Amino acid sequence: MSSVLAPARRLESAVSICLLGILVLVAVGVLLKQADVDMSRFGTDPVAAGVIGPKSQAMTTQGEISLTALLPPGFKKLSESEFYNAENLYEKIDGKAPLYIESGFERLLTQRFASIRDESLWAELFIYDMANLRNAFSVYSRQRRADVEILPDTRFGYRTGNGLYFVHGKYYVELVGSSQSAELSVAMSQASERIRTKLAVDKDEQITELALFPQEGLVSGSNRLYLASAFGFKDLTNIFTAAYKLGGQTLTAFIGRRPDANDAQKMAESYYRFLIENGGVAKPTADESLKSWQGRVVDFYGTTEIVLTAGPFVAGIHEADDRQAAEQLAAVLASKLSESAKAIGND
Amino acid sequence: MTEANGKKIRRRDLLARISKAGAAIAGCGVAAYLLYDPVGPGATVEAEQLVTLPDFSVLQQPGQTIAVVQGTDRQKTVDKAIELLGGIERFVKPGDVVAIKPNVAFASPPMLGATANPDLVAEVVRLCYSRGKAKKVIVTDNPINDPASCFMLSGVSKAASEARAEVVLPKPHLFRHTTLANGKLIRNWPIFSGPFVKADKLIGIAPVKHHHRAGASMSMKNWYGLLGGRRNIFHQDINTIIAELAMMVKPTLVILDGTEVMMTNGPTGGSISDLRRADTLIASTDCVAADSYGCTLLDLKVSNLPYLTQAEKAGVGTTDYESLKPARATIS
Repeated sequence: MSSVLAPARRLESAVSICLLGILVLVAVGVLLKQADVDMSRFGTDPVAAGVIGPKSQAMTTQGEISLTALLPPGFKKLSESEFYNAENLYEKIDGKAPLYIESGFERLLTQRFASIRDESLWAELFIYDMANLRNAFSVYSRQRRADVEILPDTRFGYRTGNGLYFVHGKYYVELVGSSQSAELSVAMSQASERIRTKLAVDKDEQITELALFPQEGLVSGSNRLYLASAFGFKDLTNIFTAAYKLGGQTLTAFIGRRPDANDAQKMAESYYRFLIENGGVAKPTADESLKSWQGRVVDFYGTTEIVLTAGPFVAGIHEADDRQAAEQLAAVLASKLSESAKAIGND
Repeated sequence: MTEANGKKIRRRDLLARISKAGAAIAGCGVAAYLLYDPVGPGATVEAEQLVTLPDFSVLQQPGQTIAVVQGTDRQKTVDKAIELLGGIERFVKPGDVVAIKPNVAFASPPMLGATANPDLVAEVVRLCYSRGKAKKVIVTDNPINDPASCFMLSGVSKAASEARAEVVLPKPHLFRHTTLANGKLIRNWPIFSGPFVKADKLIGIAPVKHHHRAGASMSMKNWYGLLGGRRNIFHQDINTIIAELAMMVKPTLVILDGTEVMMTNGPTGGSISDLRRADTLIASTDCVAADSYGCTLLDLKVSNLPYLTQAEKAGVGTTDYESLKPARATIS
């Protein structure tokens, strides 16, 4: 009998040892995880609180781009290069971080550099990696200043009294000077040139929607791209806008390209309902051509909203003060979009 | 009783086994009790360790709650604004320790208007010493990113030091947890309290700025700098956190600088073309009134900034600044 039971006892012992081993492993795992807890998630990490030193300082070597190599001649680095990701971008730009993160932000590299001759002349370089050209254009366009000097060597870029701002492929770049200085201005131009030369990007990327806006009355450089929640409506995504000056009126036109005509109609319908549900009042249009584009006019607290579709495009006019001018521009916009829809075989 | 192999167990063995099993269970229970953390990580602060900021406010005086001064020279406009409110002597008593909290959130040059103007900060320090006879003036803020660079590049540390203020940078031991009574967001949260708990008076100095998330950053938003931890999570409910900060901090005086206003691309700005001259400086004992006036400099209405109404409803101040009969002056 005992010879029969002996193997069973050994099996029981082996199973017991295995179970105990698993329990020991679980305990070790718990202890290790506990020792490695990210206290910053609970608001108690002094590093995250900015009281020991920014995390970014420890992460500077993670950047693939050597910012020092981009420094202009006659300038030296004033600070170490810093690296930020979506988790800690707010440490650098605080309340502006959501603008970037909602637009596909991947990382930011920054560095300050100063004139060797006069350290009070310094500038900070910001290179935002936005993952693709559209995202980079979105953050660029939404921050674009008025009355600026266009940078001729860039697709999207300008200069103000103290800085340069441009899109280079998937990168949105800012060079912000500490003062209005000719020396700084030259240095920032040189840094800009080095960035565009040394930072490889996909030059085939295009933003085709910009060519869809009618040219007459278009305010140069006024295009904006809202990747999400355009005009406060969360479902209105990938919307381009442009400002127009027509007959003394300033108008804002918008265009969004959808996968197909059905999708465009659905988006137009949901935006129209959003306007009505939020106090808008439907108005008849006097413009016959606008009717053929299924254009719908809404009085929204004294301003005019128009939404229409043409093939895969949803488009319209936003917050116009003059309804007649808005309807006229909407008709021109619809006509141009209709031609484009036919050209791409999606009308 | 028999074992599985049919062998009978003796009573003594059975009792021994029961005792061992009982001891093992009891041991586990004791160990679990000793290791049990009833509040979880980050919430281990005992109630008696929570800090509450002192009430720094002064008695209200009719007609001397808010002053609005037009002019280009910040030193002159702030002198006049404080004079209209009764003079610095109303706010700072001889021997007081005064904490000044400018907005030094960014390592940004003064020209860009993203931080409190250094000349303005220095002038307030001088007033506290020269007329208020303060014992000590502290200038402090809690920028997340590289505080030393923020103070240095904004020009605030140099200007404040030259005016004999003590510049205090954030250090771990200066943070303690707080809970705001009736607060929804400020609950057991670390704040930069060290420089303030031993001060007698508190003066906030902030520029008028556009803010991408909040709409505007002015004197109430300036208290955001007191928050430690991953304070960006409050961006999801920015209006409530600003209103709660205004409930938590009861300053002696706030100074809102609208000499040059950041109209776009705030709170960082980055270009002088983001700025517009408004040549207006506001001083007030009511931060809601000050910010309600300040938002007009940004072409905004009170209704555009929900945190103003939230703070008003909480009894912090009034959005109807005209009801306070602002004292006005123009400095040529």
